[in-house]
Amino acid sequence: MLAEAFKFPEINAILRWQDIFTSFNKIALIAVAAAVIGIVVFLLAGNKDAKVAPKGVRNLAETTVEFIEDGIVMQTMGKSGLGWTPFLLSLFIFIYLCNVPGIIPILQMPATARMAIPMFLALLVWVVYNGVGFKHQGITYLTHTIWPPGVPVALKPLVGVIEFISNIIVRPFSLTVRLFANMLAGHILLVTFALLTQSLITAETQQLLLKPMAILPFFMLVFLTAFEVLVAFLQAYIFTILTAVYIGGAAHPEH
Amino acid sequence: MLTIVNHLQGLTHLATEAGVEAGEGPGPIVPELKELAWGAGSFIVFAIAMRFWLFPRLKAGMEARYAGIRADHEAADAERASARAEVADYEAQLVAVKAEAAAKVDAARQTLEAERQEQLTALNARLADERAAAAAETEAAKAAVRDQIHAAVADVAGRAGELATGRVPDAAVVARVVDEVMAR
Repeated sequence: MLAEAFKFPEINAILRWQDIFTSFNKIALIAVAAAVIGIVVFLLAGNKDAKVAPKGVRNLAETTVEFIEDGIVMQTMGKSGLGWTPFLLSLFIFIYLCNVPGIIPILQMPATARMAIPMFLALLVWVVYNGVGFKHQGITYLTHTIWPPGVPVALKPLVGVIEFISNIIVRPFSLTVRLFANMLAGHILLVTFALLTQSLITAETQQLLLKPMAILPFFMLVFLTAFEVLVAFLQAYIFTILTAVYIGGAAHPEH
Repeated sequence: MLTIVNHLQGLTHLATEAGVEAGEGPGPIVPELKELAWGAGSFIVFAIAMRFWLFPRLKAGMEARYAGIRADHEAADAERASARAEVADYEAQLVAVKAEAAAKVDAARQTLEAERQEQLTALNARLADERAAAAAETEAAKAAVRDQIHAAVADVAGRAGELATGRVPDAAVVARVVDEVMAR
């Protein structure tokens, strides 16, 4: 009876969402909401008096800006990379706000657990850092990328292939999959333990001990929900810092 | 418990809510065009707004405040340096005044010492004079007393000799004898 109650849904049933209106589903809603929330927060922050000590929404916005500048840009690109702060800031906030709905009741779905948004962002980053490479180094960017300085001539063919695949092909793929797979795995874990808890609570059974056992997957669900808060932040941070590293490496290959 | 169940249903009634049947739609790793379009559009709008509007406004405010704070710090540093210079100046003046005071005290002390020595010398001289005068007076008094005693003793001795011998002794002899006895 319990086995019947605990029937895991098809993967698409926990990932694909019915359109709210034509070509606009929950993922699109979360993406739009992420952009709108980001814009509203920074708009409100910008309207506050900048001369006094920041608090509330302005404090939040300034803390985020300083986190990106001090924690990511200065660490990976140095002072010359500060011009990239708005892009990296947008990237971090957008990814974080797309990740967080995975633990928000009613929404309960990270937009990045679908392939589209991570893939778009990774491709955008790929275009940006390659563009920066060509802009700063010209055509030599390609040779610097596939043949790092100091590689013996005999090894150049082998290293060239490895570096080309690593830097040009694998990077956007790894950026996409890292974000997408982490968020998808988290979402599936939450669904799994929620289903297990619900199945135990609502099971029509004569075994008296079965229903109290629901506390075990429920605790796991609570723990994983808290863990997903960390994962949401961490994945946004990792994506952003790798972007900064790629752009910094393309702009200044000597580093 | 009912609330928990409702929350769980929110998370688990996905298939029903989504209206998606098993196996419907592309695979879970295939990007859907509508999600791609909305995601890309949202991010591009957000990034452009951030680049040209939101970030510059916020950053300008931050920079203005930081500049204000830096200016306040510099003003505070200048005030501190000025205060330190004033303290150093005051301390230098204090050292000079102390040195001047010490010199004056030394000079006054030397003057006082000289005056003290002078007065002491004068006092000692006066004391010596007075002591000499007193000694002379004492010697004179002693001589007068001795003469009176001599006269009294001579008188008594003469009278005693007279009583013993029945004759009046010679005054010169008595006086010589009294002199000899008193000189012992």
